[in-house]
Amino acid sequence: MGDVTRIIITRLGLGLLTLLVISVLIFGAVELLPGDIAQAVLGQGATEDNLRALRTELGLDRSAPVRYFDWLSGAIVGDFGLSLLTQSSVTDTIAPRFANTLFLAGYAAVIAVPVAIILGVIVALLRNTLFDRVANVATLTSISSPEFFLGYILILYFSVKTGMFPAIAKLSDDLTFFELLERTFLPALTMVLVVVAHMMRMTRAAIINLLASPYIEMARLKGTPAWKVIARHALPNAWAPIINVVALNLAYLITGVVLVEVVFVYPGIGQLLVDAVTKRDFPVVQACCLIFAATFILLNLAADVGAILTNPRLRHPK
Amino acid sequence: MNYFVIVYYALLIGGSCLAAYFKRREIFLALFSLTLASFVMGIVGGQDALWAVSIAAGLLALAGGTAYAFREFLVIISGTQTAKALRTAPLTASFGMFVIFTYAVLGIFAPVIAPFGEGEVISQSFAPADENMLLGADQLGRDLFSRIVYGARNTVGLALVATMIAFVIGVLLGMVAAVKGGWFDQLMGRIIDVVMSIPGLIFALLLLSIFGTNLIILVIIIGIIYAPRVFRLTRAVAGNVVVMDYIEAASLRGEGMWYLIRKEILPNSTAPLIAEFGLEFCFVFLLVAGLSFLGLGIQPPTADWGSMVRENATLISFGEITPLIPAAAIALLTVSVNFVVDWMLFRSSGLKE
Repeated sequence: MGDVTRIIITRLGLGLLTLLVISVLIFGAVELLPGDIAQAVLGQGATEDNLRALRTELGLDRSAPVRYFDWLSGAIVGDFGLSLLTQSSVTDTIAPRFANTLFLAGYAAVIAVPVAIILGVIVALLRNTLFDRVANVATLTSISSPEFFLGYILILYFSVKTGMFPAIAKLSDDLTFFELLERTFLPALTMVLVVVAHMMRMTRAAIINLLASPYIEMARLKGTPAWKVIARHALPNAWAPIINVVALNLAYLITGVVLVEVVFVYPGIGQLLVDAVTKRDFPVVQACCLIFAATFILLNLAADVGAILTNPRLRHPK
Repeated sequence: MNYFVIVYYALLIGGSCLAAYFKRREIFLALFSLTLASFVMGIVGGQDALWAVSIAAGLLALAGGTAYAFREFLVIISGTQTAKALRTAPLTASFGMFVIFTYAVLGIFAPVIAPFGEGEVISQSFAPADENMLLGADQLGRDLFSRIVYGARNTVGLALVATMIAFVIGVLLGMVAAVKGGWFDQLMGRIIDVVMSIPGLIFALLLLSIFGTNLIILVIIIGIIYAPRVFRLTRAVAGNVVVMDYIEAASLRGEGMWYLIRKEILPNSTAPLIAEFGLEFCFVFLLVAGLSFLGLGIQPPTADWGSMVRENATLISFGEITPLIPAAAIALLTVSVNFVVDWMLFRSSGLKE
C-alpha cells in the first residue's frame, strides 16, 4: 500500500502548490487595480488626507509581498481580515453562508448522483435506440439552458402556478430538518437537472467506451449472460470513470451554485460573492474566490485519487 | 368524453397500429407507451394534460418539419460535395442550422426587424401586449420584442467576439507550443493548468470586481478565461500532426515555424478546431448570459438577454412567462449550436459504435 500513499501524497502536494499559485494570482489581481484599493473605495473625489488615512488603516504603506504573506498566513488559520464596507470579520460573514452552500450542494448531489449513474448506465445499454436519442436531446437541452432559465421555470410551475414549494429559499434557525429540505427543494432541483444531464452523458460515454473493449467481447463470445457481463466484467472497471465523473460534476456544482443562489435568494457564499463584486469589497471577494478555488481543486484531486485507487494500472505511469 | 379526447386516442392508437403493421418497432413502442401514459395522465391531470401533450407533439412535429425542409433546401442550393454530407445530417443538426441562420438574420437586420428602438420608451412599465407591442413592455415601458431582437445582436455578438479572442490566443499558443516544444511547451502547460483549476465564473467575477464592468474589458477577460481550453485541444491535435513525416520534410527544407503552422499544421487540424469553436461558443455564451444576469455583464440600456431576465423577473411571480423568453432564446441557441457540433464531431471522429 506504500505505493498508493506515495502517489496520494504527491497529488496532494501538487494540489497545494496549485492553490498557492492561485492565492498569489488572487492577491496579485487586486494589486493590478488602477490606482489602489483606497482610491477605488473612496472614489475620485477623495482628499489626499483621507486617502492616506485609509492606506495606513489597510496597511497599504507596506510592500506587496509583505502584505501577501500577512494575508496568506491569516487565510491559513481562517482569518481573512475585515470587510471594507461593514468592518466586520470576513470569516464570520462567510462561515455560516459557506455551510449553507455546502448543504445545498450536498442536497443536490445526494439526489443527482444515483439518478444520473443509473440513467447513464441504462442509456449506455440502450444506445442507438429511440430512448437513447430522446435522452440525448433532453440532456443536451438541459445542459444548454442557463441555470437561471431552469430555476425560473421551476418557480413558475412549482411555486407560482401550483404553490407546492416556496419560490424563495429563506432560512432561519428554528426550521426543522424537513422544513429545511422543503424550502431548499427548488434550488436543489435546479442544480440536479443540470448536473444529472452532465453526469448522464459522461457516464454513458464511459460505459460505451468500456463495452467496446476486447474482454467484454470475449465474455459475450463465451456465452456469459448479458446481466453477468455487466455485473462481473463491466462494472468493476467502470468505477474509475464513474468516480471521475461524479467528482468533476461536484466541482461543477460549486460554480453552478452562484447563479442558482441569486435566483432563489439563497443565503449562500455565491450570493455573497456577487454582492461583494458589485460593491467592490475586495477582502470578501478574495476570500470567496480562494474558498471556491480550494473546493474545486480538492474535488478534482478526489477524482484523481479515486481513479488511482480503483484502477491499479494508473499506479504505474508509463 | 368529448371529441378532442376521442380524436386524441384515435390518432395515437391508429398511429401505433400503422407503425406495428409496417414493422417500425421503435415508433410503435414510443407511440403505444405514450398512449398508455396518456391514460394515467388523463385520469390525473384531466383534459388539460392531454392538451399539453398534443401541443408538445405539435411543436415537435413543427420543428421536425422545419428541419427537414431546411435540410432539403440546403442540399439543393449547395454544391455536390457539401450536399452529400448534408444529406446524412440528422434532423437535430439541420434544426440547429436553421435556428443559427434565423438568429444571424435577426442580429444582422435588427434595426429593420425591430419595430422600436432598443432604448425607446413607448408605454407604461409592464404594459400588457397590444396591437403595437407583440410581447408587451418591460419594466421601463420599452417594447420587449424589439429588445429581444436587439439582444440577438448584442449578446450573441459579444459572445462571438469573446470566443474569437479565446480562439486566436489558444490556437496560436497551442501551435507554437506544439512546434517549439521544450521549455515553452512545459511552461505554457503549467500556466494553463493553474488557470484551469479556477472555476471560470469565479475567475470572471474576481477580474470584473477589479477592472469594473467595461465592455472591452469583459470581452478580453472572457477570452483569456476560455483560451486554456482551446490551447489544450490545439496542443493535442497539433502534437499529433507535428510528428508526421511531411512536417519533418518541411523543416528540413528550412521552412520557418510560422510557415509550418500556417501551411502544414493548421490545414490538417481544422475539423476538430471548428467543432471546438462551436463548443467554446456555447460556454462563452452561457458565461456572458450568466454575468449579465448577475448585473455584471452588458450594462443597461443596451438590450441584452441575460439582464432582461433579471429586470423582468418580478413578472414571474404573477405567473407571466414573458421574462422567460430571452432565457429561452439563450437556451435555444446553445442547444442548436450543440446539435450542429454533435453532428460534426460524429462525422470527424468516426465514432460509429
